[in-house]
Amino acid sequence: MEKQQHRLAFGTLVITSKLPDTMVHFTAEEKAAVVSLWAKVNVELVGGEVLGRLLVVYPWTQRFFDNFGNLSSESAIMGNPKVKAHGKKVLTSFGNAVKHMDDLKDTFAELSELHCDKMHVDPENFKLLGNMILIVLATHFSKEFTPQVQAAWQKLTTAVANALAHRYH
Amino acid sequence: MLSAQERAHVAQVWDLIAGHEAAFGAELLLRLFTVYPSTKIYFKHLGVCPDEAQLLTHGQRVLEAVGVAVQHTDHLRAALSPLADLHAQVLRVDPANFPLLIQCFHVMLASHLQGEFTVQMQAAWDKFLTEVAMVLTEKYR
Repeated sequence: MEKQQHRLAFGTLVITSKLPDTMVHFTAEEKAAVVSLWAKVNVELVGGEVLGRLLVVYPWTQRFFDNFGNLSSESAIMGNPKVKAHGKKVLTSFGNAVKHMDDLKDTFAELSELHCDKMHVDPENFKLLGNMILIVLATHFSKEFTPQVQAAWQKLTTAVANALAHRYH
Repeated sequence: MLSAQERAHVAQVWDLIAGHEAAFGAELLLRLFTVYPSTKIYFKHLGVCPDEAQLLTHGQRVLEAVGVAVQHTDHLRAALSPLADLHAQVLRVDPANFPLLIQCFHVMLASHLQGEFTVQMQAAWDKFLTEVAMVLTEKYR
C-alpha cells in the first residue's frame, strides 16, 4: 500500500496508508471462479434470457422498455428481438466487468451516468438483474454452479450494481 | 393469490423435492450461508461452521415447512400460523433476509432442473415463496 506523508501543525509528521480507491476486493479464488465460468458463457443466448426473465418475473421492470414493442405475454417477451438484442448488450457489458473486477467504479462510470442521470433507472433493478444472471447461469452450468461459485458471482453482480448506482450518491 | 397455472407449476417443482427434503434443505442452507454469510446469525445453534448432519436436519425442517405451504396455497395463513408465531416471537428474522433465501432457492432449483426451470416456473415459484415469506413476517407488528 502506498504511504502518504502529512505535515501537521508544529511540524508533526504523520504517515498514513493511502487506501486503494476500490470498494470491493476479490480473492484469487473468486476471480478464478468468475473468469473460468465466463469463458463458457454464450453471451447472446444468456443475455436475452436474463433480460427476458427479468421482464417476465418482475413485470414492473417493463416500465423502462416502453419502446420495445410487444411485451404482452411471456412468449412475446422471451421471443422479442429487441429484448434479445438489449440482453446481449447488457451481458457484453458484464464481460467488461469480469475483465476489470478490481476497478469496477471507473469501468462503469459512464454507464452509471447513463443509467442514473439520463435514464433514471431505479438502482433496485441492477440488483434484480444481477440475481437473474445467477439464476440463468445456474440453469446452464448446473452442478458446476456450486455455492462457492454462486458466492463469487453474487459478489460481482452486487459490486457492478453498486458501481452502476454510483452517480445517485 | 396464485392462479391455477401457477399452482400447477409450484406442484410440478415440488415433485422434484418431495421425498428429498433433507438434501435440498441442506443445499439451500449451504448456499444461503456461503453467499450471504450474515444470515448465519440466525442459526448460531448450528455453530460457526455447520456440518453436513446439522444442515441436513435443519434443512429438512425448512423444506418440510415449504411442503406444508405447497399443500395449502389457498390457506397459507392458517397453515403457517404456528410458524408465523414462531418467527414473530422467537426467531425474529429480519424480513430483508427472506428475499436472500428465495434467491438461493431459485439458484438451487435452476441448477437441478436446468432448462426445465422455465421462466413460468420461476415466476410462479417466486410469487409463491414471496407469499410464504409475507405470511411468516405478517405478525411481526
